[in-house]
Amino acid sequence: MRHTRHHLPHFLMILPFLLLFGAFFLYPILSGFYYSFHDWNGVREPVYVGLENYTKLLGSRDFSRAMWNLFQYIAITVPLGLTVAFGLALLVDSFTGRWANFFRNAYFLPVVLPAFLAATIWRWIYAPNFGLLNMMLGWIGAEPVSFLNDTDTMLYALIAVDVWVSAGFNMVIILAGLKNIPADLYEAARLDGASKLQQVIHITLPMLAPVMFFVLTYSVISAMQVFDKPWLLTGSSFSEYGGRRGALLFPVMDMMGRAFGGVQFGLASAYGFLLTLAIILVTALLYALRSWSNRR
Amino acid sequence: MKNRHTAASLLVLALASAGTAARAQNLEYWVYSDFAQGEALALQQEFIKEFQQSHPGVTVNIVGKGDDDLTAGQIAGAASGNLPDIFMNGIGVGAQLADVGALANIHDKWIALPEEVRAQYNAAAVANCAPRPGEMYCIPYTGYGSLLFRNLTVLQEAGIDTATPPKDWAEWLAQMEKVKAAGKFAIPDQALVFNSIAEIYGVTGDVSTWGIDWEKKTTRIDPAVMAAVMQKFVAMKPLTSGTSRNDQATKDLFVTNQLAFHTVGPWVNPTYLEASANSGLKYDFVLMPGETAGKQGGIKNFEIIGVAPGENADLAFEFAAYITAKEQMARWAKLLSRYNSNDAAMADPEVAALPLIAQSAAAVAGAMDVNPPYLIHPVPACYQSTVVDYVSATADGEFTPEEGAAEMIAELNECIAN
Repeated sequence: MRHTRHHLPHFLMILPFLLLFGAFFLYPILSGFYYSFHDWNGVREPVYVGLENYTKLLGSRDFSRAMWNLFQYIAITVPLGLTVAFGLALLVDSFTGRWANFFRNAYFLPVVLPAFLAATIWRWIYAPNFGLLNMMLGWIGAEPVSFLNDTDTMLYALIAVDVWVSAGFNMVIILAGLKNIPADLYEAARLDGASKLQQVIHITLPMLAPVMFFVLTYSVISAMQVFDKPWLLTGSSFSEYGGRRGALLFPVMDMMGRAFGGVQFGLASAYGFLLTLAIILVTALLYALRSWSNRR
Repeated sequence: MKNRHTAASLLVLALASAGTAARAQNLEYWVYSDFAQGEALALQQEFIKEFQQSHPGVTVNIVGKGDDDLTAGQIAGAASGNLPDIFMNGIGVGAQLADVGALANIHDKWIALPEEVRAQYNAAAVANCAPRPGEMYCIPYTGYGSLLFRNLTVLQEAGIDTATPPKDWAEWLAQMEKVKAAGKFAIPDQALVFNSIAEIYGVTGDVSTWGIDWEKKTTRIDPAVMAAVMQKFVAMKPLTSGTSRNDQATKDLFVTNQLAFHTVGPWVNPTYLEASANSGLKYDFVLMPGETAGKQGGIKNFEIIGVAPGENADLAFEFAAYITAKEQMARWAKLLSRYNSNDAAMADPEVAALPLIAQSAAAVAGAMDVNPPYLIHPVPACYQSTVVDYVSATADGEFTPEEGAAEMIAELNECIAN
């Protein structure tokens, strides 16, 4: 009793968060889970259909395609994004004063750019015949490429945009981690004759491991929810999305299309729940790998 | 005494305010964002002002929204009981909106309008709003028919006589091949967007073999017609610019004399008109040819005005009827030189004399509905993507036209059945 009374102010202090968390996070997830077992258009009384929404989804061509696209996308964009962000952080860290500020801000700029603006810029860069990239290809005598309509290039075109946007954010986090590495470690390594590369491998990377793990987890979770960039790059709408032959179709896009294009909120809820489950599983797997590697 | 006077004055003021409040009615009116900008917005505000003057105590608040925002807002509004009173959308979205109860059945209100008023509207567009006897969910508003924009400079450079438009598909394809041989692009990639596929389907087929048969839960697409249409995509493939009809890059190619044909709605005309004045672009717009002389290709589509169910429904319907009536639609057409679904307004001599409107009216008369039948059931999300996928794959050479058509139809039937 005394214990409860003692902690009452603490509980009261976290109550606003708990209320908001419950109303805007927990309740939508749980109600989404409930509706995933129902045929529901968002307005009419939901009709219980058991696992039908799940079986429909798992047997659907677009679901398989969206998941395969997502797998390829994550497999490339996350390691590439991390590598680029790490490289940029090392580069910016090597500068001091005005130049350090300039590069940090320049690389961070795409992060603050609204998604539609970033997509518009890249649509211009990728435009067939007139785009910057095709003009450059023209200078070397290469044939123009329809980056956003050729199924062989569409995924890579998206990954380039994604890395361009996310690198600045990840760079700032990694940069903060770099600043926390004691300088005397590098000094000792230099005295021992370690090269720059050896310093990065044996000091920077191990010391940055917790930060890199955070960036990795955040990047994977963000990548699994990719929506706005492929939606805008392919000029998608609720009735037509994913670009040529679904080459840029991703789960959240398909979920939105089924919800607002097909008015199948029950099916979209099942989609959302499967995606949430996948995100939780992948995150848990990453944490398990991290604890395993820490124990070694 | 003074206090008693003050109290009485306050009571009168309170009662008066209460009376005013009881009469005051606010209508929320959602439109596409281009209706809420520039001169279109100025004219909409003029309509609103006129309506407010004839309805004291009524205010109308116009809100512009992007295509997807408009639909998402209306569906979410229906779910939360917070719908705008009156709103625009494409008729292709009508079934979704009706399904979630966003659209009031305005049949009785419509029938109560004088017959001469009802007769003003395009009969086919009205029929699309009335899916079953005793049901009507929208008033036809604006609309378009596909036009074939021709870059005359490109065509002349390819040695094509531009005096008359191509009379049929064979002549049109021959012109496209000549353009390509002259080193220019003939046409955007029609296989990229559902509406441009529908436009080419309209060249060969017609509405009787297009859309969904909801009773049988099958597509109405005829395999033989679709195979013939697929063959056209195969023939066009090497002639295209690789851009879709909606891409900015397509307009850039056209404006810079790199692209010969652009099949699209009249909304691109302001861009081309401006290029004509600024950079000397020479272009015109004609009807899309069909398979044979006399047949026409292309699609037609309408935007609708819907009224939300609820206490403001009567007033919202009055407003909808007012803004879509002949006088307003004629002013709209004259200002923007854009077709709308009020036939009486389109027949106004000043309106009918506008070339873009005259061609649009002819295009609507002969073109195919893009997503029929309307307002029966929401079209499943997989339907349009299946059509686009199989046409693209066939154009890429993955299937023969016959195989592509058969596979497409099987998958469409599965999509509808599920």
